[in-house]
Amino acid sequence: MFSLFRRFVTVFLPLSLLLLGGSGCSPKELSSKRPETLIFARGSDAQKLDPADVDDGESVNTISQICEGLVRFKSGTLEIEPSLAESYEISENGLRYTFHLREGVRFHDGTALTAEAALFSFHRQMDESHPGHLPEANFQYWNYLYQEIKEVRAEGEMTVVFELSEPNSSLLYSLAIFPAFLVSPNALETYGEEFQRHPVGTGPYRFLNWTPNQAIVMEKNPDYWDVANAPKFERLVMKVVPENSVRLLELKSGHVHGIDGLQPAELAALESDPRFTVYQRPGMNVGYLTYNLQDPRFTSREVRLAIAMAIDRKGLAKIALDGTGRAADYPIPPGFLGEPKKGNPIPYDPERAREILAAHPDILAAPIKLQVMSQPRQYFPDPVKAASFIRSELEKVGLTVTIEAKDFKSHLNSLRNFEFELGLIGWMGDNGDTDNFLSIFFGSWATIKGAASNYAFYKNDEMDAYLLGARRETDMAKRQELYEKCLALWRRDLPIVPLVHSNNIVVTRSELTGFELQLIGDLRLGPVGWKAE
Amino acid sequence: MNAEHLIRFLKGVGRKLALFVTIYLIASMALFMAIRAIPGDPIALRLKNPDPVRVAKERERLGLDKPVMTQYVLYGKSFWTGDWGRSLLSGRKVREDVAQFFPATLELSLAGLSLGIIIGVLTAVFAEGFRSQWLKRFSFFLGTLGLTVPIFWIGLLALIVGSLWLGWFPSGGRFDLSMVPPPNVTGSLLIDSLLAGQWEKFWAAVNHLVLPAICLSLYPAAQVCSVLQARLQDPKIEILKRALKARGFGPARIWFRHLLKVGSAPVVTVIGTSFGALLGGAVLTETVFSWPGIGRYMVAAVLDRDLYVVQNVLLLVILLVVGVVFITDFLAHVINPVATKSEEDQ
Repeated sequence: MFSLFRRFVTVFLPLSLLLLGGSGCSPKELSSKRPETLIFARGSDAQKLDPADVDDGESVNTISQICEGLVRFKSGTLEIEPSLAESYEISENGLRYTFHLREGVRFHDGTALTAEAALFSFHRQMDESHPGHLPEANFQYWNYLYQEIKEVRAEGEMTVVFELSEPNSSLLYSLAIFPAFLVSPNALETYGEEFQRHPVGTGPYRFLNWTPNQAIVMEKNPDYWDVANAPKFERLVMKVVPENSVRLLELKSGHVHGIDGLQPAELAALESDPRFTVYQRPGMNVGYLTYNLQDPRFTSREVRLAIAMAIDRKGLAKIALDGTGRAADYPIPPGFLGEPKKGNPIPYDPERAREILAAHPDILAAPIKLQVMSQPRQYFPDPVKAASFIRSELEKVGLTVTIEAKDFKSHLNSLRNFEFELGLIGWMGDNGDTDNFLSIFFGSWATIKGAASNYAFYKNDEMDAYLLGARRETDMAKRQELYEKCLALWRRDLPIVPLVHSNNIVVTRSELTGFELQLIGDLRLGPVGWKAE
Repeated sequence: MNAEHLIRFLKGVGRKLALFVTIYLIASMALFMAIRAIPGDPIALRLKNPDPVRVAKERERLGLDKPVMTQYVLYGKSFWTGDWGRSLLSGRKVREDVAQFFPATLELSLAGLSLGIIIGVLTAVFAEGFRSQWLKRFSFFLGTLGLTVPIFWIGLLALIVGSLWLGWFPSGGRFDLSMVPPPNVTGSLLIDSLLAGQWEKFWAAVNHLVLPAICLSLYPAAQVCSVLQARLQDPKIEILKRALKARGFGPARIWFRHLLKVGSAPVVTVIGTSFGALLGGAVLTETVFSWPGIGRYMVAAVLDRDLYVVQNVLLLVILLVVGVVFITDFLAHVINPVATKSEEDQ
């Protein structure tokens, strides 16, 4: 024992003192002069750079600098504004969308943006015999967000027309996100299978090279059409720094200019430091608890309400998100279409919960298994901690809960196959529309075993009718009304309990200007500049 | 070498080969079964909207609808022909990925290992040779540091000191992002930049290698040092030392030509096992130093159920480590047949 102690004293102590003592020492920082290259660091690398075939945040964040769609979200909002299309019209019945393309735009390889070129990016996803329908690609968003598109055709040189089989009010939003970004048809022909490693679009930066798991390098597009948002740096690098503390260190030393993916606890010290700017805003996500309605213990609405009332969501937000988020009252992010003006959130009432549960001996008889993922997700940066909090809340009202943590893929697999009792999970929105939350959670069509996203197995004809009605409705006031009805049904039946909305967080050097967090969560680095000296 | 020796030698080689084949069979079957036994279809789990028709089509394209035995045979065939398929996630060819990531890990591991051997041998020899209390303390310090301090902790410390405070070294990564890498010949940036005669790039690569290599060297240094020290403290060595001294040899010659040779057989074995440990622990070093190596690649592949990457790359690394251990065993035997003989006769 003594020898162990001595070892500790001889090695750890001096090193720890060095570490501690040094925190007061002034670090060597690179000068704050305007760099030629803007470097942004994140925890993992992009997987693919073909906008039609990506789904991870890192790929989307990279491709968003290189490619653009016909329309886009006005920076920092959920408002649609023209992008590569100068203007657009939607027919009265919502079945025809007409886009008038901007004149004089060229892809990075020099290909002119014409209606013909624009069609290519859609036809390659729709038509399996199209040469751009690469066999390795999944085009998984096409059948998921764009399934109403029946035909895309050109009318003249510069007009693209979408014909729909039935109206879908969220389609315009979907056309503003990455699967609908336009790529150069010539580049796809040149690179073929390798296109996903040589993306060519119209964006502010153009692709230069990619060293996997290290960095993706882009350079300025000098001919960028959007003069107001023209790129300010010669090069843009998306660097991979897997370890959080090292990413922070790189930001501190000035080797990188912006980072994301920090743990909430690491933010406190940065917020008061004038060298950095912390950007934070509610993300488009919800972390929630889902019941398995096929489990007889959860068939009673009363029991579901009692469990929901037993959880202090505000306390959970504080503990699980360290203040970088908020308690969720609805299964949609705050401010989304359908959010009731006069709400009726689930109250926190453990007393009442205990009373209700006392009348249901079956739920008190055996332990309930709460299943959770072991890896962090945006909506739960520390999922196991969140689960532990929920367990302690539920045990206060007399339930016995065991936690089962699984790696994310295994967890997802059990949920999709309804092999769970209580599950902690979340959803990150794709296109900023309410349909993309409520249909996912409550649509009876989303209960196919193995492919489900309605993990609760909630089936209600009335709900289905409202959901489909709101999807087809083009009048926003009527959609609001329909979604309010959906939420009223949810509030009555409570197949899931929304818990938290976490914030999107990016930290940059304070010299950076023009950065704004986007609601959709994608990164927009085109307008970013360096403050005037 | 007489006939009896030759036969014994061939027998030894044959035994190792048989063991190698057995390990291959067990490892490949284990990997093949494991990736399929984890609940959840890797194809469906990759899709956001996994409708069954789509999943079935994809499984057919990848040959996952074939009987399990056929799949296993095809797996063996594709592994040995080097046709390792594509990553389900990135769509890149697994072989290209290996060609990209493996040299990075190998370069770092070899740098760490060589540095470790040098530090370990010098410390042991000087501590024993000069009987210096300070050196003995240093070797004790080194042993504790190398064997007990976790690499991610010491790595972070090295980055704080070497990069943040002193500003001498980059804070991770393998190469300067503002430079164009040297033309790829061997995959090692050091060798490639030398071959191209590009000194600036060579120094950039060295600069990036210093901190992670030092951190990685601690474990083998501690191992080599303790094994060698124990060996040098053997009373028989003391007799040998006196005999050499009596012949009038100087200390440098005694230590580095004679005693080191006698003492090095177990050290070679230690190097073999250290190499395995280095590859196994690569993911930690690679994570701390943002090193684009095979460790991070494999861990990500396992978590993402990236079937072909797990199947082929893990097997490759397993066989490689086994191969290196066998080769170092063999070398230890060549250097000092006596030390390993009794074990072989069993």
